[in-house]
Amino acid sequence: MKNLIKFALVATAASLVLVACSKQQPPVTDPAAETAPAAAATEAAPAAEAAPVNQDSLAAEQARLEAERIAQERARLEAERARLEQLINQIMSEDVYFDFDRSELTEKAKELLAQVGELLIKEERFTITIEGHTDARGTEDYNFTLGAKRAMKVKEFLAAYGIDGKRMESVSYGKEAPKVEGASEEAYSQNRRANFRVNIKD
Amino acid sequence: MKIVDKIKAFSRILSWALVFFFAYLLFSPVVSFAAIDTIAVDVGISVFKTMPIGVVPFAENKGAIEWIEEKPHQIVTRDAQLSGRFEVIASDKFNLALFSKNRAKHYITGKVTPAEGGKLRLECFLYVAQTKDLLLGEAYTISQQDLRRAMHKFFDEVIYRLWGERGVASTKLAYVSKMDGIKQVVVSDYDGFHRSQITRDTTISMMPVWMRENKGLYFVNFKTHRPKLYSKLFGGPIKSVFPQLDQTYSPAVNPKTGELLFSSTVDGKTDLFIGNPETGKAKKFAYLKSNQTSPAWSPFASEVLFTSDRGGGPQIFVMGKDGSDMRRVTFMGRYNERASWSPEGDRIAYTSMDNGKMNIYTCALDGSDIVQLTNNAGNNEHPTWSPDGKLIAFASNRSGSYQIYIMRKDGSNVTRITNSGENTSPTWSFFYEDANKQQTKEGAK
Repeated sequence: MKNLIKFALVATAASLVLVACSKQQPPVTDPAAETAPAAAATEAAPAAEAAPVNQDSLAAEQARLEAERIAQERARLEAERARLEQLINQIMSEDVYFDFDRSELTEKAKELLAQVGELLIKEERFTITIEGHTDARGTEDYNFTLGAKRAMKVKEFLAAYGIDGKRMESVSYGKEAPKVEGASEEAYSQNRRANFRVNIKD
Repeated sequence: MKIVDKIKAFSRILSWALVFFFAYLLFSPVVSFAAIDTIAVDVGISVFKTMPIGVVPFAENKGAIEWIEEKPHQIVTRDAQLSGRFEVIASDKFNLALFSKNRAKHYITGKVTPAEGGKLRLECFLYVAQTKDLLLGEAYTISQQDLRRAMHKFFDEVIYRLWGERGVASTKLAYVSKMDGIKQVVVSDYDGFHRSQITRDTTISMMPVWMRENKGLYFVNFKTHRPKLYSKLFGGPIKSVFPQLDQTYSPAVNPKTGELLFSSTVDGKTDLFIGNPETGKAKKFAYLKSNQTSPAWSPFASEVLFTSDRGGGPQIFVMGKDGSDMRRVTFMGRYNERASWSPEGDRIAYTSMDNGKMNIYTCALDGSDIVQLTNNAGNNEHPTWSPDGKLIAFASNRSGSYQIYIMRKDGSNVTRITNSGENTSPTWSFFYEDANKQQTKEGAK
């Protein structure tokens, strides 16, 4: 499970970096795409024509400005990325716990889900996968159905909270992805849960 | 005593019985099942009739063979003990007094000599003890690595000769083994030897079941971050089956048609589907309000066992192959799951949870005659019948880690067949069809 979370994190981080990159790339690849790159391109062209006028210092100044602009843009994207990552981490850490062989939401679970609901309302680009899990007791087969019921209860709650069903997907991991290893009641209670994976819609 | 006194005494007993009964009803936590909770459960009473058989070490010239495997008589002894059919009377040499005393009418021995190219020439014999008449003789020229399988083959011939039935010494098990923390599907001979890894994935593989004629396996994998069914012919590639359906698992192969019955979960609701894995076409099997999982076919595929949660927890039900005539099978306890039908057709094995512990039970098809097979030894789950119906393989963590065990169908003679790592979810193969042995029980004798 840890691997999975890590994977999800890496994947999300990677997609964020990709988003960031795709915003930085256009100046080179597609000058017409955005205003900043377009400006850069039009500035670059006259500079090339007005060759006699202190070409070197002009080019240096332009490079400096360009570097500054890129740095600012990077910082902005970095801040945005950090903010999103923090939100994603927050959502992914909001595990919802269940009683043994039950799929009803507890009051505490509902409070947590309301917070997740708020975040999802604010960040419309977020889509989530709700993963339902069970503890190690019982059969693999029945635990898939139980995990599915738990994930569904979470989905229904968030739908009632106002989140579009299209932004939510549910899946059951049964007892296959425990958060805590072991055969104690403590481990069991940590593993009877639903948790989230967050993706960012393009 | 006069009759009147007798009647008085009887009515007194009756009234007390009634008082107790109502008191029981009052204080029993689960009133609705109070009557059913009193079904008698047998624990581990052996109902097996075993046949004593002598086993004598195979003749060999001292030092002629450097043994790297167990010797032939050791392999045959283990097969005989695992088979649930024999009681081994071991002897260093032919000993009629010993065999007679233990009512062993037959004995097994043989001869092993070195052959060309480092191979072994193996001669195996089944004799009548009293007369020393040869009942069965087989010879194999094999490398030592194939000794175990040659002995299994011979042993199944012995079973066929003495019981008129096919034995399971040449069958296999598929199960799940944790490797580097990831569950992979593996296959081994029924005795745990000759293990080979079937999946080599970075995501969980689980729930292996055998295709007909043991041509390959169906199993579940998580590579798409959801449980999905895949197929693999042995030696062939892994293919997705029924990719159009979401979250597919709990596969059960129809022994007559090869169709696959399985669970699919869509939006939190789990239903049974039936499909042809060749064409990829599948449809819903039964339209029920409850969630259904763990389907299992009857030996002739006329009926289907499955688990439904319509009473809250899981209970076992049965219905016709057309989805009609649904009946509940299990009533005792709150958690009865994953039933499988005995090859003889008369009983089902299933896993029941009580106080958080899993144990294996069998019962008749109407839910009566419950027998608890495992008790007081960790968790015991995932029973699977041997194709001859004599044995049940299962997974247990009684040793501290999950391992695969084999026991007789009455719960006796529990033998561990895996030793390291974590091994779970065994499913027994079908018989391996021998080209020159198409006869069935009726053809024997």
